[in-house]
Amino acid sequence: MARVKGGVSSRLGRMLEELQEGIEDGLVPAWIFNDPELFELEKEKIFSRSWVYLAHESEIPNPGDYVLRYVLNNPYIVVRGEDGVVRALLDMCRHRGMRVCRAELGNASHFRCPFHGWTYRNDGRLIGVPAEREAFGPGFNKAEWGLCPIPRLEVFDGMIFGNLDPEAPGLEEWLGEIRWYLELVTKRSPAGLEVLGPPQRWVVHTDWKLALETFLSDSYHTLMTHRSLIELGIAPKDAKYAMYGEQIHIPGKGHGSMVVGAPPGAKLPPFWGYPEEMLERARTSYPTREQFETARETRILLVTLFPNFSFHNPIRKPDHKYQGTVPMLTFRVWHPLGPGRIEIFSWALVEKDAPEWFKEKTRHSYLRFFGSSGTFEQDDTEIWSHVAHNAATAQGRELRLNYRMGLELEPDPNWPGPGVAYGLNFTDANMRNFHRRYLEMLLS
Amino acid sequence: MDRVQALLNCLYKEAELLDEGRYREWLTLLAEDVRYRVPVRVTKERGPEGGVSGVMGGMYHLDEDYTSLEMRVARLETGFAWAEDPPSRLRHFVTNVRIGEPRPTPKGEETEVRSNLLIFRSRWDRPDHTFLSAERRDVWRQEEGGWRLAGRTVILDSATLPTHNLAFFF
Repeated sequence: MARVKGGVSSRLGRMLEELQEGIEDGLVPAWIFNDPELFELEKEKIFSRSWVYLAHESEIPNPGDYVLRYVLNNPYIVVRGEDGVVRALLDMCRHRGMRVCRAELGNASHFRCPFHGWTYRNDGRLIGVPAEREAFGPGFNKAEWGLCPIPRLEVFDGMIFGNLDPEAPGLEEWLGEIRWYLELVTKRSPAGLEVLGPPQRWVVHTDWKLALETFLSDSYHTLMTHRSLIELGIAPKDAKYAMYGEQIHIPGKGHGSMVVGAPPGAKLPPFWGYPEEMLERARTSYPTREQFETARETRILLVTLFPNFSFHNPIRKPDHKYQGTVPMLTFRVWHPLGPGRIEIFSWALVEKDAPEWFKEKTRHSYLRFFGSSGTFEQDDTEIWSHVAHNAATAQGRELRLNYRMGLELEPDPNWPGPGVAYGLNFTDANMRNFHRRYLEMLLS
Repeated sequence: MDRVQALLNCLYKEAELLDEGRYREWLTLLAEDVRYRVPVRVTKERGPEGGVSGVMGGMYHLDEDYTSLEMRVARLETGFAWAEDPPSRLRHFVTNVRIGEPRPTPKGEETEVRSNLLIFRSRWDRPDHTFLSAERRDVWRQEEGGWRLAGRTVILDSATLPTHNLAFFF
């Protein structure tokens, strides 16, 4: 790996060298979870050059539908034009820089700036300038003054991503082999996914990497952090249940997945407990036989895309007295607000062609276990905030944290999917892979 | 005691139980068919109907029935509910109470009660705290043994929540 190069202060350079030297031995310095100078570098080197999740196409199904979303602090109107094309337009008037979109979501044929009245079509074209001839003269060309689109926009199976870097590699190349795991969810039904309403949004005093880690590689935390749900009989009785699965990472990309089946002796239905009709549809909608077979044996699935998108698709009971189980699916953006501070955007999704009773049950499973009030997630956010606090303390920030789990593991040669797979999910392999990619981007 | 005073007492008693963490007692104030909802609030332009907007259907922060509320209480009793163990110091400030007219229903006489709510939350030994402000739109029902909360919709005043979780009740 390349040594620390220019572009960073000597202080930060020394710190990054420490991370670089430690990572292969499974040592990660605590300061990476709360450092102002590092956060500035992450903004420039990671978030200004990465594919960042903006929205799901089902949030804006009709012409004129829009949602307001962010890459760092840049506001984008993610809007479907009258031509059906999805765009992400910087919410900034070309005249004096005012916001032209005044709501988080809605339907609009045009956006009008409340400052001087410049008006844009929902495809970004400038179509109205008050007193145009008197104010700007006959040579004024409106075609040159449309809303700025995000430099790159691409859609994968309904998932809309944006990228601030016009030179960035395409989304397909960016995703690479993680696509196989994404498709376990996006291709489960030929109808695709839909959101169950707008995202919940809330602020947590933690670092985006710490939140992401939980969904990328940390199955080990479930036995203690989520012990209350094991006690209640919501999570499987075997506290090590999340260990019985495969952990897979995509070298060079930073992405990872955890694919968990049923713990030995546990009676959990196959295919997350989806209704039989959906299992039948899945049989033909998956691109490959291997994906269908893998999906059929899966009870908990997590996929995390570098840098800050995760989804979580576990089997759940809607409450502790419900007979049977219902799967739920949540999409996440760990939106960085500052050092040690994030905003979580959390959506619930379901297959468009799922039965109505199932959609209602899966909505309840989501609300009661994940999201802002979720009984799993509320303990995660409690813990993440303390770690980030400690990571900014004078003595604590110097600690090297133990990322050595699974250092001795050998890859599983029998895993049918792509990437480097381990047959034991108690490993930090995905996180070590993430940090390699993270360092590579910070230093390039 | 008149109905208005009885309902005011219910609201204040409920706030006391929640502030003191007496959740099992709080459950006894709930009707068996209670529907308890906190819809997601978003920023929206003022609509032609005027007034406030942005209360979204379809997605909630909480959409609970008696069983799921009981589950949340049971979780707090496991000794492993870290989000509220140690518990937050909570204070429910209940003001601007508006009590509607009594209305007979097949399940008993019901009254709509609206109130403003400010929740103060302080955790650990940190000097900071969070506030959540909301309006509660309740339905209280007179049942055998007293008034029960039969429905509650909490209209939050925040679109993005300023607190790290909703591990408490409104």
